[in-house]
Amino acid sequence: MLRNLCQKMFGRSLWVYHANSGGCNGCDIEVLNVLTPYYDAERFGIKLVGSPRHADVMLCQGPAMRSTAKALKRAFDAMPAPKLVFAIGSCACGGGIWFDSYSVLGPVEKVLPVNFYIPGCPPRPEAIIYGVAVALGLVDKKTAPVQFKQLELPMPRYHPSDLHGQGEMVVYTKAEKV
Amino acid sequence: MTSRETLAQLKAKFGPAILRADLPADNRLLLYVEPFAIKPVCQYIFRDLDARYVISIGADDRPFSGQFLVAHDFAFDRDRILCSVLTHIPADKPKVDSISDVVPAANWAEREIRDMIGIEPVGHPYPKRLVLPDGWPDGSHPLRKDFAWNQVPEGFDEEREFKFDEPPEGCMVVPFGPFHPTLDEPAHFRLYVEGEMVRGCEYRGFMVHRGIEKLAESVLTYNEIPMMAERICGICGCVHNVAYAQAVESAIALRLPPRAEYIRTIMLEIERLQSHLLWVGLACHIVGFDTLFMQSWRIREPIMWIAEKISGNRKTYALCLIGGVRWDITPDIKTELRQLLDKLEAEWKPVVAAVLKDKNIQARTSGVGVADKTACKNTGLVGPVARAAGVDIDCRRDHPYAAYDRVDFDVITADGCDVWSRVVVRATEVFESIKIIRQCLDRMEPGPLQADIKDELPVGRLGLSSVEAPRGESHHFVITGENNRPRRWRVRAPTYQNLQGIPAMIKDQQLADMTISLGSIDPCFSCTDRLETIDLRSKAVKVWTQEELVKMVKARKA
Repeated sequence: MLRNLCQKMFGRSLWVYHANSGGCNGCDIEVLNVLTPYYDAERFGIKLVGSPRHADVMLCQGPAMRSTAKALKRAFDAMPAPKLVFAIGSCACGGGIWFDSYSVLGPVEKVLPVNFYIPGCPPRPEAIIYGVAVALGLVDKKTAPVQFKQLELPMPRYHPSDLHGQGEMVVYTKAEKV
Repeated sequence: MTSRETLAQLKAKFGPAILRADLPADNRLLLYVEPFAIKPVCQYIFRDLDARYVISIGADDRPFSGQFLVAHDFAFDRDRILCSVLTHIPADKPKVDSISDVVPAANWAEREIRDMIGIEPVGHPYPKRLVLPDGWPDGSHPLRKDFAWNQVPEGFDEEREFKFDEPPEGCMVVPFGPFHPTLDEPAHFRLYVEGEMVRGCEYRGFMVHRGIEKLAESVLTYNEIPMMAERICGICGCVHNVAYAQAVESAIALRLPPRAEYIRTIMLEIERLQSHLLWVGLACHIVGFDTLFMQSWRIREPIMWIAEKISGNRKTYALCLIGGVRWDITPDIKTELRQLLDKLEAEWKPVVAAVLKDKNIQARTSGVGVADKTACKNTGLVGPVARAAGVDIDCRRDHPYAAYDRVDFDVITADGCDVWSRVVVRATEVFESIKIIRQCLDRMEPGPLQADIKDELPVGRLGLSSVEAPRGESHHFVITGENNRPRRWRVRAPTYQNLQGIPAMIKDQQLADMTISLGSIDPCFSCTDRLETIDLRSKAVKVWTQEELVKMVKARKA
């Protein structure tokens, strides 16, 4: 439904505002890279704008920090509806390696309603373009949901040989406690 | 002067105040002094021996020695010595004499010690909160050993606002950031503006503080930390990765296989190429020359591809482990890298020629953001900012590491002290990097990539290491510890010092020049803060309220 809505609402060019709430810069420069000649996102009408008041989409990089949560929320509130939020990079999607550190709140979704996730550390420019294109309905999603069996803590050691594929479902069977 | 002679000189001057001195290598000097002597010793080293201030470190040593530890690091660039002045502070009285009035560059570092460890710098000129979030309660210090890494202290107040200083008489406040179109990362400047002229500023940053040092000393292990270290900064990550590994190696006196040293050198230079091209692009973007922004990023892209071929990732290379490297340069990659360098050199030459002759860029940047030799000395500015002021320092030559002592290259300097000189220095350094990589490819011999480490690493050793990042010297300080992880790891990124030079650079300049002045140090807030932010993409947007505008127009008319 979101997709149909997106196509309807954001049918034409998309103006994006990018907010780094506390990331390492890696995702930032990949987002910038998307605008440069090799990737050139402007051919899809995607343009980076300087103010949240002009933007349709907010790209969030980095985890939500205790020190920037308020400012991030304010920037989000300044955007006119309808609006979308993309979490770009591992930190924004899940908090990254510092998800439980004392100064980090966690993933961006703790502060803002996130619509799309683009994981990677940092995600490749192609991945960012692809993510935005999926959101806009320009291309189809190519991945199927993966189901993991719920396991008790402590988590077992992960090894690819223990993954058994069953068509669209990939099940992780071995549960050796470490 | 060797480290032994320096020590003899210090002993002659201070005698009994020096409790112990260690010379773990010819180019390292560790000095343990009485707490009361810390200020005169630092003053003597900084002023009379003309050393460069690097960083101050506070550590909670109570579980081991029952005391706190404070260290001030200095570098003797001509003599190739890294020196650390250490003192133990009693646990019940966490106070130390501030050195900020004799060594102004120590200002931030001492405020950080106050925030993170809770050691009060007595006599500090501006003891205000620097690092911790606004709502953080006073008296709770995350880097103390009794504070858990995932603890949120009681009394954390989300609503508490940071208290800014009053602006000077007759000045308007222009807020700049935290989310700002010219800055990629969050940081907040409050500019005091009189008309169009900036008269001063207050900085509130450290919004990207992620608690990396705490995670390293409580959660991760020696060989996991390099992977986190490179995520300190997404642009110069490999530098932190190498600097950390080198600090631990210097603490335990481990020698690397030569091939590993060459590979580290090559990767560091690939990163420098990538970063300098990025910066030239961004700087041009800031001054409104978008063509060159696109061109230099186009030239840069193949470097990202070759980095991906070598390491599997475009940005974070995951290069080092303690005692070696993880990726090899295969013959295929060697050939490809050579071709890439030729192409890069051919493409970059016309760009540099165009930039150096461009009257517009020159007019826009010369005389802007001035930081002269005295400023460099006092605020400890490093890297291209210092080199553009004629200060001839470069860690690759002064404190050689990896394979830099076996290659030849020039240290590029200029003497304009302004943004224009920094553009020239960075644009020309690209050719030196190309030269270094070529020499490394020629001289690299086959061999192992990893040194053998059979035993556990010894405990309680100190390691210092400096690496020349694209933005300046990156300094790491490590105390080795139990449980396969360091006791204390302190990172000083180049922007940490360079950012302290910003208030002086933008003072009495046009508001519109603020962004390029800031951009010229190539600020990297994530490095600096390991908890904070800034951005440098387009021109500054002025945020005025309507009343202010009306008032201003009226004032003009009158």
